[in-house]
This record gives sequence, C-alpha cells and structure tokens, in this order.
Amino acid sequence: MDFYDWMLALHLLSAFSVAAALVLYSVLVVSGRRSSATLADARLLFRVAPVATPLIAAGSVLVLIFGIILAIDSDRFEIWNGWIIAGIVLWAILGAVGQRTGAYYTGVQELAEREGDASEQEVLARLRAPTGAVLHLATLGVFVLILLDMLFKPGA
Amino acid sequence: MLALVRAHSWDLAVFVHVLGAMTLVGGLVTAAAAGIVGWRDPGGALRRFSALTLFAVALPGWIVMRAGAEWAYSKEGWDKVPDKFQPTWLGIGYFTADIGGIILLIALVLGGIGIRRMRSGGGAGLLRASTAIAAILIVVYAVSVWAMGGKPT
Repeated sequence: MDFYDWMLALHLLSAFSVAAALVLYSVLVVSGRRSSATLADARLLFRVAPVATPLIAAGSVLVLIFGIILAIDSDRFEIWNGWIIAGIVLWAILGAVGQRTGAYYTGVQELAEREGDASEQEVLARLRAPTGAVLHLATLGVFVLILLDMLFKPGA
Repeated sequence: MLALVRAHSWDLAVFVHVLGAMTLVGGLVTAAAAGIVGWRDPGGALRRFSALTLFAVALPGWIVMRAGAEWAYSKEGWDKVPDKFQPTWLGIGYFTADIGGIILLIALVLGGIGIRRMRSGGGAGLLRASTAIAAILIVVYAVSVWAMGGKPT
C-alpha cells in the first residue's frame, strides 16, 4: 500500500465514522418519536447519544483533511474539479444543518434532565414534533448527496 | 471518498454496497453503545434496545451490503476472473463480510433468547454477550473498510 492507498483507506474510515454517528442519531430520533415513549425512555436515549459526538466530530474533520490530501496527491483529479468542489460545499452544508439538529436535541436533552416530571409532556412533544426529525432528515439527505457525488464523480 | 476512476455502470452497485455497509456499521455502533452504556443497569432496557437495534438496523444493513457486494462483483467482471488471480482486498472483503454475517447471526440469536428471558427476569448475560459480539464486529468491519479503501495486494 502506498501513501495514496493509506490516505484513501483513512478517508473511507472517517466517512464510516460520520455514517455510524448518523445511523445512531437516526435510531434515537425514531425511538424518541414512538407514541409509547416516556420521559424515562427519553432519558435513556440521551445517555446513548454522547457516543456519537466524537465519531461525528473527528470523522467530519478527518474526512475533509484526508479528502484534500487525496485530491492534491492524485494524478487524476485536481482540487478544483467540479465534483470535489461540490463535495466540499456539501460538507459545509452538512456541518451547518448538523449543528442546528444538534442544538435542537441538546435543548430537548437539557429539558429532559431537569429534576421533576413536570417537563415530561414538553419533552415528549418536542421529540415528536417534526422540527427535529426534518432537520435530521435534511442532514441524512446531504450525507447521501455527498456519497453520490463521491461515487459517481459527475464531470470526472 | 473512493477516489478511483471506475465505469459509471458500476457506481450504482457500489453505492448500494457502501450504503448497506454504512447502515451495518452504524447499527453495530448503536447496538454496542447502548449495550455498553446500559451494561450494569438493573432494568435492562438499554440491553434490550441494543439487541433490537441489531435486528432492525444491522441485519438489514448486512443484507443490503452483501447484495450490493455481489452486484458490484459481477458488474466489475470479477466473476470472470479465476480465484487465484483475484486481489487480496477482495478476499479480505468477502471473508470479513461472510464471517461477520455468521457472527452477527450468533449475536442476533443470543439477543433474541435474551429478550425472551428478560420477561422472567433473566437474560442479562445473553444480552451482554450480544453487545460484546457487536463491539467485536465493529473491529472486523473496520478492517474490511480499510481493505476496501486501501486495496492491499
């Protein structure tokens, strides 16, 4: 394996790290929206969510770094190729939408962790509200677009 | 990602393969995370959640990944190449996918029995074993992802 192969393998592993975090969040979003979910269930789900934080934080930075190294090192591609620029733009959009999604669910988590059950209805209403799910779906959609862009390489 | 030049006719098959693999790895990470976070919980809700995630996310992911792999294998013409001339990375991919599938099946069976025994107050050990297997499978599939990306010869 030469330098390029190692960078490609690490780029792919970083992408899988982001994907794993997004799948984890998806499972939590779907579970939290169940009509039978209680405040105790919500608190349980919020205990699992922090596992995804380092995966998505490190993965999203490393996937860009290794991707740029690949584009510079490659004889076949240049960093200014349309599909690579599109990938970087989509990466930035993924970060922005992901941050908004994270902020929404962090707010719900803070509410869920307050002492007393007075906030139960509010927590469950926010988990079932379309806002979080739509934001999360948008994040997933952008990630799939990046995947399609990287695999199909339009214009390459 | 996957910065290799390939005929566009293969791309859809590879996309299906990668999407399935990402779902599989995500399902395993979610199951392992829930099982480990809830390892010592007396109620066992997170251990149950872990086993159900393996069934509802990791298993469908494995099926899509494996079907996509077979589709890409035939689209790329590897089925016409004698085994002895096939590259190492392809062998690693097949080995980890198939062995991983069998191990995943064992984790699912243990998880299923564990959930059943939970109703009578038991099953914690089986659910923990299912979680441990999910964690091991993450390592197995990380090696597979490395081999698919780096394509060692």
